[in-house]
Amino acid sequence: MSVYLECKKVKRTGFLPAFIGGGILAAAVPIVNMAVRSEMYLKQPGSPIQIMLGANWQMMTMLNVLLAVAGTCLLYHTEYADNAMQKMKSLPIRESSIFLSKAVLTVFMSLFVLVIEVGAIIFCSYLWFELGSGFWGELCKCFGYSFLLMLPCIILLLLISEACKNMWVSLGIGVVCVFTATMLPTTNFALSLFPFAMPFQIFAGTDITQSAHYICGAIAELAVCGLAQLIFVKVRRSFE
Amino acid sequence: MNFLTLVGVEFKKIRRSKILFILAVAAVILWIPSILNAKMNFGMQAEGISPENNFFIQGFMGMAWFMFPASMVVGTVLLSQTERANKGILKMLSLPISTAKLCIAKFVVLLTLAAVQILMMTGVYYISAAISSGTQDYNFILPTLFVLKEISLIFLSAIPMIAFFWMLSVCIQTPIFSIGIGLASIVPSVLIINTKAWFAYPMSYPFFVITAEYGKLAANLDMAQVELIPWIPVAALIALLCLGISCLRFGQAERR
Repeated sequence: MSVYLECKKVKRTGFLPAFIGGGILAAAVPIVNMAVRSEMYLKQPGSPIQIMLGANWQMMTMLNVLLAVAGTCLLYHTEYADNAMQKMKSLPIRESSIFLSKAVLTVFMSLFVLVIEVGAIIFCSYLWFELGSGFWGELCKCFGYSFLLMLPCIILLLLISEACKNMWVSLGIGVVCVFTATMLPTTNFALSLFPFAMPFQIFAGTDITQSAHYICGAIAELAVCGLAQLIFVKVRRSFE
Repeated sequence: MNFLTLVGVEFKKIRRSKILFILAVAAVILWIPSILNAKMNFGMQAEGISPENNFFIQGFMGMAWFMFPASMVVGTVLLSQTERANKGILKMLSLPISTAKLCIAKFVVLLTLAAVQILMMTGVYYISAAISSGTQDYNFILPTLFVLKEISLIFLSAIPMIAFFWMLSVCIQTPIFSIGIGLASIVPSVLIINTKAWFAYPMSYPFFVITAEYGKLAANLDMAQVELIPWIPVAALIALLCLGISCLRFGQAERR
């Protein structure tokens, strides 16, 4: 019910077209890259997914995360812009359940964007490489991993947007965080646990134990963010 | 109302917006890795660049690539949303002021924000250069005149880009599209600067200019240099076109 309500709210804000457009833009990256300089990648060792993600994932993730930044800012902006939040608070709904339904909506849309990108990767592999026997399994594992590492980032972004009533503040913080993530060295494990840096990790070709550490890290961060949201709502209520 | 008063009014509106705080945080975050990795500047003999030049240019390349354009997108959101939040724009439009003047006044504020951000970067640069000089026992501080020349180059080359972002935020009413297009247009600038058509893409100007400077300072690196002839006319045309369109479109959605 609550999620359905959120879907109705975003109807005329351009939320859905923005995610579809962003997904198509991110999916165009590997296709264009392969079309322009395929000979550079065909000689490389490794599986097709590994080669293509290694070449394009940086830019695709950047687009995904920026899309999430813009989307989450907008979701709470529509609430704060004309004091709709006050009306929402007077309804017999928990504030956390609003957060949860917004999170479900954003996560679902991010999944949708990832599916478009998977389509592009399949298309490229089919056209330029040979689909090996383990292709589908690797593809599922790879994008499942990417999706999981995306989650803490989305939840943290929503938390920031909920905390800041002005859109430019949450957008500014989001942009600064994305920028910080691009500056962090990916080799350092502790630093790359920063929620905005995690989506830049690639599953294919990395050590299994290290991937397991990242998955544990992502789940822990999700738990911390969820708890922080519950506490934040309670604390803010008592000060308003 | 004369133009300067209008600009003054626009500055008053953003006084409590915390935008300067965000810009300052970005500037500080940019230079922290440079201080921590100051030692790496000594290993650049292959490129033939001196450590102090490398320290300076790497930091500013990081800024010109993503942080600076993205902050400008945030700035456009600030300028448009402060007005739309409580229908302030309707009151402004009901005053006997030409809308084009109002639009240009807001653009001047945006340019000032850009200048402030670059100056903050420079300030933090001097602090971090002083710290690194202390830790590495090597003078990282460059002469002021050289630094001033570089930062004014970045600022001037960014004007068409800022005009483009301003046009986006004026023409596109739904905020997610103006933000989304703005942020998404920054990402491919890394690819565009390697092509021959870079001068047609205003978002890549600051980054192109700073990489060209890097090529000049590093003796062994061959970076594409700025060719003034197609660039200056095209850049001026883009800037004027974007500003013209935004002046025409400013306030039209509200007047309908």
